[in-house]
Amino acid sequence: MSLPSLDPRVTRLHIPDWTNPMEAIKPMDQFQTFQAFVQHRENKPIEYVGVVHAPNEEMAFLFAKEQYTRRGNTCFALWVVETSNVMVSPYTEKGSSLYEMIDNEAIENLEEGENPFEIFHLFKRGKQHFYAGRVMANSPDEAIVQAKKLYGNDGKPVLNIWVIQTGHILFSDEDDKEIWNTLSEKVYREAIDYKGADKIKKYKEENQAK
Amino acid sequence: MNTEAIKDLLYKMADDQLILGHRNSEWTGMGPLLEEDISFSSMAQDKVGQSYVLYKMLHELGEQEPDTVAFTRNADQFHNCQMVELPNGEYDFSLIRHFFYDNAELLRFQALTSSTYEPLAKAVVKFRGEVRYHVLHANTFIKQLGSSTDEAIAKLQASIDILFPYALGMFEKSKFENELIAEGIFTGEESLIEPWIEAIQKIIDQTSLQLPDYKTIKPINGGRYGTHTKDLQPLVEEMSAVFRVDPTADW
Repeated sequence: MSLPSLDPRVTRLHIPDWTNPMEAIKPMDQFQTFQAFVQHRENKPIEYVGVVHAPNEEMAFLFAKEQYTRRGNTCFALWVVETSNVMVSPYTEKGSSLYEMIDNEAIENLEEGENPFEIFHLFKRGKQHFYAGRVMANSPDEAIVQAKKLYGNDGKPVLNIWVIQTGHILFSDEDDKEIWNTLSEKVYREAIDYKGADKIKKYKEENQAK
Repeated sequence: MNTEAIKDLLYKMADDQLILGHRNSEWTGMGPLLEEDISFSSMAQDKVGQSYVLYKMLHELGEQEPDTVAFTRNADQFHNCQMVELPNGEYDFSLIRHFFYDNAELLRFQALTSSTYEPLAKAVVKFRGEVRYHVLHANTFIKQLGSSTDEAIAKLQASIDILFPYALGMFEKSKFENELIAEGIFTGEESLIEPWIEAIQKIIDQTSLQLPDYKTIKPINGGRYGTHTKDLQPLVEEMSAVFRVDPTADW
């Protein structure tokens, strides 16, 4: 027996009762994933926000914009990259910095490479990676050595590093910023805008008084 | 300034936004994939939000409160073009409507940034970022699906063929057309058609889809003067169901 839906959009579809036997989900019936990075505040670094499924990076950009920047007061940049293009360093143990594993001699002997790479730092397990900056290198491994030279003395231990070749990232540009112009006015998308608890309390108080 | 002419212009824009916003919101929870469900719902919210700004402008000009205007009129009092009220059907239909509508809306808003009616000129500048995303969304989808599988291309093409005459109805002239142009309030419907064709043709050319020659197609007009399909009245009733139960309801 099926229950009638209370949603008029569903009832007017007149969906027939379920007759086909269920089948197992097919492997890979989803799109590949893309990783999204957002700059929430103008003076704060770009940070990792999460994943979207999409058939290509343009579609991933569209989805990430709504998925990760539809709330919050401001947004200044959005980057997306196919997951397989994110190179991940080993994780360090006991809060030590990955950069300690790279000896200074390696830095002294290394010259700048041909390709730009973007460097992301993880400072706390379970939290997101933050953008550190760009380096010129010939491989992701070299990029980490270059990154120690440029961004390795900022104090906080870096527990893990993501390296992404710049050409693999789809960046929002300066003109795109206006798509977030009215974000601060969309309070109706924030849970805090719905005073449900206040109303329930008021209702209870009124009904107890009776 | 010719207040009646301005009201007519505001009503048709606000009603387009409200009705299409409502239609598009019907996809919430039913979108083809999670990410798209959220995107399409957000854009529907943007449209309803823009209609609210326009209804507030109408209120300043002496019309009733935005909620009263939105929820208590009958279908024949709405000024939206018929395209926006057509029922959803399958996703290809909603995507083509979105593609036709938002490309036109971007041009309309651009034209209105230099309107001599200042409140409107200011509002459309504010809307521009939202519509920029809506157009990017529409164009990216059409490019992607319009050059994908035979099934997708056939479905989109069928929706183009059905919707194109309705889309031309977006540009139905107001009875105040000459006044609006003369007073510099709006450049007029005719000024939008060629740039619109050019904008959508540019995208269609990157797909396996075909656009009919607009000069050979008879527009489906009437919406701007209150003539609607049988589908608008049920939409209005569903949209205003809560308001009619309790006009003071708030959440």
